[in-house]
Amino acid sequence: MRSRIVADRLSDLQRITDAALAYLPLEALLEELLERVVTILGVDTAAILLLEDDDSTLAARAAKGLEEEVERGVRIPVGRGFAGRIAATRQPVHILNLDDFEVVNPILRERGLRSMLGVPLLVEGAVLGVLHVGTLTERAFDPDDTELLQRAADRAALAIFSRLTERERGLADSLQRSLIPRLPELPGISLVGRYLPAAAARLGGDWYDAFPLPDGRLGMAIGDVVGHGFHAAAVMGQLRSGLRAYALDGMPPNDVLERLNRLLRQLEPGRTATLVYLVLDAHGGYLTVAAAGHPPPLLHPPDGEPSFVELPGSVPLGAARHSRYELRELELAPGTALILYTDGLVERPGESLDTGLERLGATVRSADDDLQRLCGHIIGALLPEGSRDDDAALLVVRALPLSDELVAEFPAEVESIPVMRKLLARWLDEAGATRAEIEDLVLASAEAAANAIEHAYGLAPGVVELQASADAVGAVTVAVSDSGNWRPPRGTHRGRGLLLMEGLTDEVEVIRRDNGTTVQLSRRLGAQAA
Amino acid sequence: MSFPPEPRVDYRDAVGVVTLGGELDVLQANALRNQLLAAVRNEDLGLVLDLTDATYIDSVGVSLLFELAERLAERQLRLAVVLPEEGLVHRVLTIVSLSSVAAVEGSVDDALTAIGR
Repeated sequence: MRSRIVADRLSDLQRITDAALAYLPLEALLEELLERVVTILGVDTAAILLLEDDDSTLAARAAKGLEEEVERGVRIPVGRGFAGRIAATRQPVHILNLDDFEVVNPILRERGLRSMLGVPLLVEGAVLGVLHVGTLTERAFDPDDTELLQRAADRAALAIFSRLTERERGLADSLQRSLIPRLPELPGISLVGRYLPAAAARLGGDWYDAFPLPDGRLGMAIGDVVGHGFHAAAVMGQLRSGLRAYALDGMPPNDVLERLNRLLRQLEPGRTATLVYLVLDAHGGYLTVAAAGHPPPLLHPPDGEPSFVELPGSVPLGAARHSRYELRELELAPGTALILYTDGLVERPGESLDTGLERLGATVRSADDDLQRLCGHIIGALLPEGSRDDDAALLVVRALPLSDELVAEFPAEVESIPVMRKLLARWLDEAGATRAEIEDLVLASAEAAANAIEHAYGLAPGVVELQASADAVGAVTVAVSDSGNWRPPRGTHRGRGLLLMEGLTDEVEVIRRDNGTTVQLSRRLGAQAA
Repeated sequence: MSFPPEPRVDYRDAVGVVTLGGELDVLQANALRNQLLAAVRNEDLGLVLDLTDATYIDSVGVSLLFELAERLAERQLRLAVVLPEEGLVHRVLTIVSLSSVAAVEGSVDDALTAIGR
């Protein structure tokens, strides 16, 4: 008879949890479950505490008759007090008289509880939290009560576990997506990045970033935060922000790393991260780089053998209080591909890092020029399907060959001007212009672009188009076009802008089209400016 | 290099000498304006701006120099700009006739002399 009653009570419980499992948000599910537990067991209070991410604290998540516990955000250290002991021992705890027990949570006494019974929430042997009930009058809970409560706890644990993993998966996806940057589109430069999550689909600590600096060069970083999960990903996000902030102030790579070391040690004592940060003048073929415990970037010149950038030994960020990082500067042959990667791409269990690096070099040697295909080739060769227990990242860049007639588009914002200047300077250099001719034409073109940006579009987004060509007698024409409503230059800046365009070139022509304006600047190379 | 370029300020008696390298352009000029104006003390006779190491200046940078000269003139102070003999910055400041509002000299010593005159 008694077991029949237990079975009935259990089936009641099961119905509610099964139904709720499918439809209710987690908090509502727990509320429903507690209400049912209170009714079935005939108790005055019921509460669920869940283990926090730190694995050492229980936090109240749902309660009946003890709502203050949730409202006040009660937290109990694992191992202490009533709930703490249940979590630590993974065993039910029954207290007949609360006066005889060391209680951490003052609300239990304030509420006037006399007897309590609690059981652990277990999934696959791991503790997720604690479910406990209490009565205002003394009650000796019997083994059936304990069994019933444990069954309810098992139900709750499964539901919580599935919700948590589902939520975590969703969060992990969106967090990882938000941490993978949209790479800038830079005319004349090919830039490709790939992030490959670990096969287990857990959050990794690998990341990369690339962004134009205020002087038109490209800042590039790749790194690996030691550890996995949300915390490692959050640290990665903080490092990325810190790196951009220091980089945008124009700091050289070694200074950026030294500051990031300081930042990481303060944000996350004990956490380490490897990182390479470099500043690339892709058009000028000039590179400055510093590394913190990260494997060296690989260079692949168009007509040569791949080689790793020689970097001095260095410690990861966060490993030592006053780390010094060395700056390396090197020139790149035109068209050299620069390949940044994380160890997940080159490391295999039971193999030295050198073997992995050799494999990367050999793979790059046999690849073609297109960077999308290069990335695919590297990943296909180095990361065979399904064998990935670590995440990996890859970031490659190369200056593209420029054609005789240059055509490029830029967002109509002043930040585009330094980027445009670098591109035009390379094209003019390849067209045979002297340094002074390059400087003059680039400045005149920058003035034309500034005018288009300031006056053609107002606050609406737009595009500035740059065209450059040389004729048979060595005259270069640069055309800067907008498709906005051109207004004559206003104010002394722009008046001087026109003066500079005229002074630095042979001829300035302003062509008004129906759909915009083109400023055409011409100069014969090898002759003095007019 | 830093963004904006960090001006270095020395004082020679009653004249501030500001050394400015790098690029004076539309992206940096606003941040530089206050730093340049702050370099001028009440008791100074004038300001020397050493652009020997400047690599680039656009019309916004040029306007900043004209504005600086004008603000100094309002307070009866003189501006002297040090330029290398050649190069882009020299060509630009010649085209816009910087010499109409400031003494243009080849060295800091010459510039100090020009302000004392």
